[in-house]
Amino acid sequence: MALSFIIATACIASGLSLFVKKNPSTGSEWRALGMIAILASLGELTATVIAVAAVVKNGSYASAVYFSIDSLGAILLILVAVIGFIVSWYSVGYLKAEVAKNIIGFSRVRQYFILLHLFLFAMFFAIITPNPIMMWIAIEATTLSTAFLISFYNKPSAMEAAWKYLILNSVGLLLGFFGTLLFLYPSLQAGQEGLITWHSIRANVAGFDPFVVKIAFIFILIGYGTKMGLVPMHTWLPDAHSKAPVPISGLLSGVLLNIAFLAILRFKSVVDLAVGRDFSQELLIFFGIVSILVSAFIIFIQKNYKRLLAYSSIEHMGVMALGFGFGGLGASAALLHMIYHSLAKSLLFLSSGHIFLKYSSTKILLVKGVMSVLPFTGVSFIIGFLAITGIPPFGIFITEFSILSAGIQNHPIVTLMALFGLTLVFIGFFRHTVAMIFGENETGMQPGEAGAWTMAPVVILAVMLTVTSFYVPSFLALLINAASVAH
Amino acid sequence: MMHNSAQIIFSLEVILFASVIFMHLSKKSSSVISLYVLQSLVIAVQLFGSAFQEASWSLFLVALVVFVVKVVVSPHFFKKLVSENQLKFTASTYLNGPMSLVILALLTGVTYSRFFKPLTILSADHQNTLLLAVAMMLISIFLIINRKGALSQMIGVLSLENGIVSFAFLAGLEQTPGLQLGIIFDILVWIIIATLFATMVYKQYGSLDVTAMTHLKEE
Repeated sequence: MALSFIIATACIASGLSLFVKKNPSTGSEWRALGMIAILASLGELTATVIAVAAVVKNGSYASAVYFSIDSLGAILLILVAVIGFIVSWYSVGYLKAEVAKNIIGFSRVRQYFILLHLFLFAMFFAIITPNPIMMWIAIEATTLSTAFLISFYNKPSAMEAAWKYLILNSVGLLLGFFGTLLFLYPSLQAGQEGLITWHSIRANVAGFDPFVVKIAFIFILIGYGTKMGLVPMHTWLPDAHSKAPVPISGLLSGVLLNIAFLAILRFKSVVDLAVGRDFSQELLIFFGIVSILVSAFIIFIQKNYKRLLAYSSIEHMGVMALGFGFGGLGASAALLHMIYHSLAKSLLFLSSGHIFLKYSSTKILLVKGVMSVLPFTGVSFIIGFLAITGIPPFGIFITEFSILSAGIQNHPIVTLMALFGLTLVFIGFFRHTVAMIFGENETGMQPGEAGAWTMAPVVILAVMLTVTSFYVPSFLALLINAASVAH
Repeated sequence: MMHNSAQIIFSLEVILFASVIFMHLSKKSSSVISLYVLQSLVIAVQLFGSAFQEASWSLFLVALVVFVVKVVVSPHFFKKLVSENQLKFTASTYLNGPMSLVILALLTGVTYSRFFKPLTILSADHQNTLLLAVAMMLISIFLIINRKGALSQMIGVLSLENGIVSFAFLAGLEQTPGLQLGIIFDILVWIIIATLFATMVYKQYGSLDVTAMTHLKEE
């Protein structure tokens, strides 16, 4: 029931937003769109809590025949619901500020909320469907719903980013679709009728030809790896994430990439059963280390802070891939890393929204003295920076340390290369952050924060990130343990 | 009877393969669209054949929807895009003709190499035909990479999708009718969105040539 409720709520919220009409005399359209967004995402969060509680208790949870989640799905569901709620809340204040600055008009705001709910709907659906084809349809739907959000500002560069996003992701996902079909072969051969689930694919794993399953996984990794932003299929990501409205960038980086990784992990568990762990792990190590190194060099020379955050997402996807590639402790750490990255990256993107509203630029060179102009944002950005670069006491330090520890014995060279990459990322990030936050405010800009509507969600994210760095709730630890054993 | 049916299926696959080769050679937008229509028609015929063979109304419905979406609706969108933006010729490529042909030959050769050979166990009756579908997929990807026109890129994506559907049909990996309709719906939405985007790109750049998109590089 809870899972059906989540899906229905996201769908209804999108539909309701469509019917909100402009009312210049009362301004009630803002209240209506804001209320729909916040109440819907709150409802989704509440239903998620119910579903996750059931998973913690019973190991899995099903709502009707078509929806079910296990521990890995539960972790992803929490992330989408929490970040979705915070982003919905933040969006209300952020878009109001953009309208006030004449950047966008009401019709754009309505379009934004319709697509935001559709985007959330597609992500929820991708997580809770037990069928790989349905999951593919849902992930493809995330591409379609976000393409218009990336071109939201209707500028040539945004259009270019959206086109690139649409074409590259569509090709990638079609290759993923081909890989998915190959995975269904044994189940279809065994006479399976109706919806083929992950469970039935695993049950028929003996029917796989080892070569076919390897080819299929390569297609899956290239296909969903494109969506996840793994190098060298990453080229759309920095453009798309830097051109989308800030709250959407937070969702794209903080949540959507993880969903593509979820798809890879689901297939990985099948491949591991069919041909052993070595094959998938070696591929993940390769893509992981390449992603870390390439993004580290680009972060070092970056000139745009939104692109900086986007490349940081590529780096962290690489870290997670590396964690699962190393296996054992690395896999558990990678799952915890996923949670920390989602919180820290959303915090950074939402904080960067404040900076953009004030400075009207995403160029690092043009942003100076954030601490004196936006002291609150300066602090939140520093928290995000320390967390994302893995500085103790933040949780990413522990997870990166654990992942590297897991790899040092069997893959010492890769581990050292990863360590070098992470160090380079820290130095690069440090340079840019110091220049933006502590530089002189040369423009004589008046100090002043954006407003409570956009600050409160940032505070919540910062608190969650800090608290979970010191204390991982027992239910989360339980889910992570169960998910890492299964994948 | 069995032999005849395999011959027909192989002939249809040859048409699909040839269509994507001719897409590479074609210089006119209208020709590329026509080749896509031909390709989609062959896919619809394959599905109709399967529906009749299995006497399944639900499969017949799927074939009908495929026909309507790919043979009727999408060409309509593409032709509208061409006429509204006067895109008579959008066939410029990164590689010249002979070089493109060399790549096409190499890709076809790769398909019949040891890497893809294991896939033939999926269908003992149509081993060569199956690899032809894989070749069609690879050549469609090359179409997307090699063409500078946004319209050709869109058709390349759809041709890739046709290649996958054809492969699934040959290997018996067809999904339940409900899922197939879901996939087709996804494709329809993709076509509408991609066409809208192409129109928006044309308005911004005055061309559908993707090499004109240089704003991201300048930032």
